[in-house]
Amino acid sequence: MATVEYHKVGKSFGPVEVLHNLSLDIERGSFVVLLGASGCGKTTLLRMTAGLETISAGEIKIDGKVVNNVHPRDRDIAMVFQNYALYPTMKVRDNIGFSLEVAKKSKAEINQRVEEAAKVLNLSELLDRKPSELSGGQRQRVAMGRAMVRDAKVFLFDEPLSNLDAKLRAHMRVEIRQLHDRLKATTVYVTHDQIEAMTMADKIVLMKDGNIVQEGSPDDLYDRPNCRYVAEFIGTPQINFLSGEIISDGGQAQFRADGTDLPLVEGYAAHAGRKVTCGVRPNDVRVDPDGHIKGRLQIAEKTGADIQFHLDIDGSEFVAVAPRATFAPVGEEIAFSMSAEKMHIFDEASGERIEV
Amino acid sequence: MIVQSRSSRIIRTVVGWTVVAIFAFPLYYWLTVAFKEGNEIFNWPPKVWSFSPTVKNFEEVFGISLGFDFGTKQEVLPGGGDFRMGPRLWDSIVIAVFSTALAVSIATLAGYALSRMNFRGRHHFVAWVLSTRMMPPVAVAIPVFFIYKDIALLDTYTGVILIHALMNLPLAVLLMKSFFDDIPKEIDESALVDGASRWLIFRRIVLPMVKGGMSATAVLCFIFSWTEFLFVLTLTQTGLKTVPVVSSTFVTSTGTAWGNMAALGAAAMIPAFIFIMLVQKHLVRGLTLGSVKQ
Repeated sequence: MATVEYHKVGKSFGPVEVLHNLSLDIERGSFVVLLGASGCGKTTLLRMTAGLETISAGEIKIDGKVVNNVHPRDRDIAMVFQNYALYPTMKVRDNIGFSLEVAKKSKAEINQRVEEAAKVLNLSELLDRKPSELSGGQRQRVAMGRAMVRDAKVFLFDEPLSNLDAKLRAHMRVEIRQLHDRLKATTVYVTHDQIEAMTMADKIVLMKDGNIVQEGSPDDLYDRPNCRYVAEFIGTPQINFLSGEIISDGGQAQFRADGTDLPLVEGYAAHAGRKVTCGVRPNDVRVDPDGHIKGRLQIAEKTGADIQFHLDIDGSEFVAVAPRATFAPVGEEIAFSMSAEKMHIFDEASGERIEV
Repeated sequence: MIVQSRSSRIIRTVVGWTVVAIFAFPLYYWLTVAFKEGNEIFNWPPKVWSFSPTVKNFEEVFGISLGFDFGTKQEVLPGGGDFRMGPRLWDSIVIAVFSTALAVSIATLAGYALSRMNFRGRHHFVAWVLSTRMMPPVAVAIPVFFIYKDIALLDTYTGVILIHALMNLPLAVLLMKSFFDDIPKEIDESALVDGASRWLIFRRIVLPMVKGGMSATAVLCFIFSWTEFLFVLTLTQTGLKTVPVVSSTFVTSTGTAWGNMAALGAAAMIPAFIFIMLVQKHLVRGLTLGSVKQ
């Protein structure tokens, strides 16, 4: 278990700079998720932590020690790769025990630790099989087992669930998180799936174009996104955006868009006249005949637990989630209301959150 | 499953067997020549199926008696008839086996380095390796002859083994590189993170995965060495000769010993055949199966 610190880390591949001056602290024993769209540099950062990529600028410290020039095998890290990277010519037993064998542990100890890991991961019956004889989920568990048997300082996961089907993915999410809670190992987990990030992370680091956009707990990112990009990235169904401006109506701040006025929390009055984008999460609205948001129903999607209304508000699409019992015919105008605290106000030009 | 019409199935079968026949018939005919008496070889029309078989040609070529006699009379052989090709067949085997082993060993190490390690000018190096393949062997035959004379490699096994390995290396290196390229880099990286050294990764993880590739490369190298003519001709004198070169000794001033030549050719097929049979079980696909999710 160790801390990981990134201090002004940069990475370039030739003339292309993929990470810019990036600083981040990872606490001992915490589960940190690097989240971002593909190409944002999250995997590169992970590989630099593992020592599989050189560090172009800045420094990375593991447990307070600069590891820039430390060979991967001396960093004492365990890594699970996206494609698992199992050793195809070895049995599951030898795959899991390979790192211990390399570390010249005794046969008895290797056996014992492999059996332990196999038990935790439900692989006991598969130990004498070759990777080619396993299903995707089983291979994934072998890859996890390979990392688990080591008492590594840091565990690195590179999109380990992206090759699994949805059901298995949900199951493995829970298992990985449980495993972390049991081992209390410092974990850095890379994914582009915001659900994975939200469900597993102690801290999410959202990246874009080689920069950190926002870091914080899943709740922070969901409740207080610091820019439009974060608001859009986190949460399903995706957040709705309405553009308009802030007006002050006798000291009471309002958001005005195409004739609709929505009351804002106190403090926004100071920003009156500013062009803004208002973000409204589909789950934060409720059907209310007296509501301020009115839209014509295009389609109603039943997801089982609830119903998603796709509305047309003056030409722009707006999604609202309602309890399943709610019924409305297509083409009908529906009104919604929401509390002012749930509205996220961003500057229209910069996309930054306007704090009050 | 695609349903085929009866006629298209028949056409496919006929075409298939025709192609097989075109390739197999000369081989068969060559074999019959090896088992024919001298005058029967020149019968017209040629006797393809019915002839009186004899092992005389083999006996003469290898200077041995196989002990069974089909009641044929002794005839005077072209050039006196004392061929004794047994040792020449042995020369061929030694040279082919050792040059193949040498070429494949070097190519495997070089292929791994070219596939996995970053060093200055790697791409130029690959291009250079390939370019040596474009050089016609005849351009170096004479210089190599003089070099060999000076360093006493002329007419030695070592000399021929070295030059055969050298001729095979460019193709072997490129082939092995491509087999290593097919193995996902993550496997190396995963082992690296697991604490393994480069050499251990190569030996324990990667090498077992390219067995098939090594076999394929070995077959190519072996066949090249087995059939190579020019270098053996120029770089050997009396000490050793391989089968392709000594075949020409059947063409003598008093006639060509076709039957004996065919017998040697037939006999020469056997070691190559055995080698390929031994190696081909490794020529299976899917050695990397199950390693990574595609």
